[in-house]
Amino acid sequence: MWTTIGRLVEHEPNSTLRNPNRKSNHMNIAHKADFNNENRFELFLLDDNEKKVEWEEETRIPNTAVFTFNKEDHTLGNLLSSRLHKYDYVTFSAYKVPHPLFAKFELRVTTNGSISPKDAIVKCCKDIVQDLEVLSRSFTTEWLGKRIVHEGEAERLAREREI
Amino acid sequence: MDPYDIEGGAINVRFLHADSTRANFLIQNFDLATANALRRVMLSEVPTMAIDVVEVIDNTSVLADEFICHRLGLIPLNSKNVDDVLYSRDCDCEGYCEQCSVVLTLNARCTGNEVMKVYARDLVVSEGRPNDEVGNPVITDPEGLGSVIVKLRKGQSIHMRCIAKKGIAKEHAKWAPSAAIGFEYDPNNKLRHLDYWYEEDAKKEWPVDEHNANIDGAPQEGEAFDYDAVPTRFFFDVETVGGLEPDQIVTQGIKQLQQKLAGVIHELQGNDGMNGADDFGGAQSPQMNGAGYGGQDAGYTTPYGNASVWGGGGGTTPYGATPYGGPGGSGW
Ligand SMILES: [Zn+2]
Repeated sequence: MWTTIGRLVEHEPNSTLRNPNRKSNHMNIAHKADFNNENRFELFLLDDNEKKVEWEEETRIPNTAVFTFNKEDHTLGNLLSSRLHKYDYVTFSAYKVPHPLFAKFELRVTTNGSISPKDAIVKCCKDIVQDLEVLSRSFTTEWLGKRIVHEGEAERLAREREI
Repeated sequence: MDPYDIEGGAINVRFLHADSTRANFLIQNFDLATANALRRVMLSEVPTMAIDVVEVIDNTSVLADEFICHRLGLIPLNSKNVDDVLYSRDCDCEGYCEQCSVVLTLNARCTGNEVMKVYARDLVVSEGRPNDEVGNPVITDPEGLGSVIVKLRKGQSIHMRCIAKKGIAKEHAKWAPSAAIGFEYDPNNKLRHLDYWYEEDAKKEWPVDEHNANIDGAPQEGEAFDYDAVPTRFFFDVETVGGLEPDQIVTQGIKQLQQKLAGVIHELQGNDGMNGADDFGGAQSPQMNGAGYGGQDAGYTTPYGNASVWGGGGGTTPYGATPYGGPGGSGW
């Protein structure tokens, strides 16, 4: 009488929807709330033994190195390469994302020799962290001020309504 | 002197509007790459809570299981102090536990003749969670209902057990803290970074945010083009989904970005062995400071406090004390 038109997900041995905690598979199915793209965390989690930054000296050109940032994207790539342009001792810096499906970018840095490319990046990162700290402070101060004014006004309006 | 920038060269923030859902502000004396990095981090790397796994115990509604599960995933959940919650993948437990998840149960049956709507307020948060607020469905409407999940007719019912986890929007957009982030610089296009197509007259046809354009100052008639000019003032308009206050999105975004950079510093310097004192103001370098970044931010106290991201470990933090504190502290 019954014709099989497909397998129920809970009967599929490889199904991620099967809930291993349940003894019986009767009527209980665990779903990912959205189970497309199971492996999206590969965009930002380092694999085992994978390093955040790897680098290689460029042998043909002095004071040059190519840094590979794993599990990072344009957020950091553009930030570092543009910021490095601000330093006089950096003569070249640019980044590329070799392939859009792999979460990594390469940053190539050349300095004038007074500092190594690696130290140039470290200095650059520290300066950005400082700027962000200043920004954060200014932001919180201003936000609190603005909210106090805002809430005071709301309170005053509420009081006026009561009267 | 620029009336909107009384602090001269230092990085500073001015608010145009602030309420419980929106932060409209401008950052001055900042640079484009950093402003854009902050925008991107706020969009996709600020952690929040969202329903991730759903156990369907009963569903006789007209909507398919997956359909409802997807809707559940998109319900904004309170993410205040989400730092208290562990990432499930970093947790020692198998599957999920009280330290890395919040369980919400939805159990509804329609018994009347009217069509019954099931709302986010009907999600019951279970006992035992990292803190008192995290994981509560966000409810902002005056009736206190929250978003509609499903409609039931007489005799239909749903019963679901939802496990909410901490995550970031890079993994799935349901973890995005912000509904939208407005970002603009140079509204008058003085720098000519934009070149929109136009029919007859660019002045008449190009869309201009009048308010921002006034703040930024209109170009003088016949003003010579400055080839060295770079943008320094950035207009942000951060709107929250509801899980985090708008200011939290910004401060957490800044923190995430700082941690990202600290990770790079650590990686590059760590390989040399510790090279100890470095070049900023005799301050201690972040990675020497113990519990800073990387693992659990044990040292992070309050977003308004003086503790910086590097906090913990005890003592003054490299960015905590005065050197960069007051106005005029930095700038390049
Ligand atoms: Zn756990």
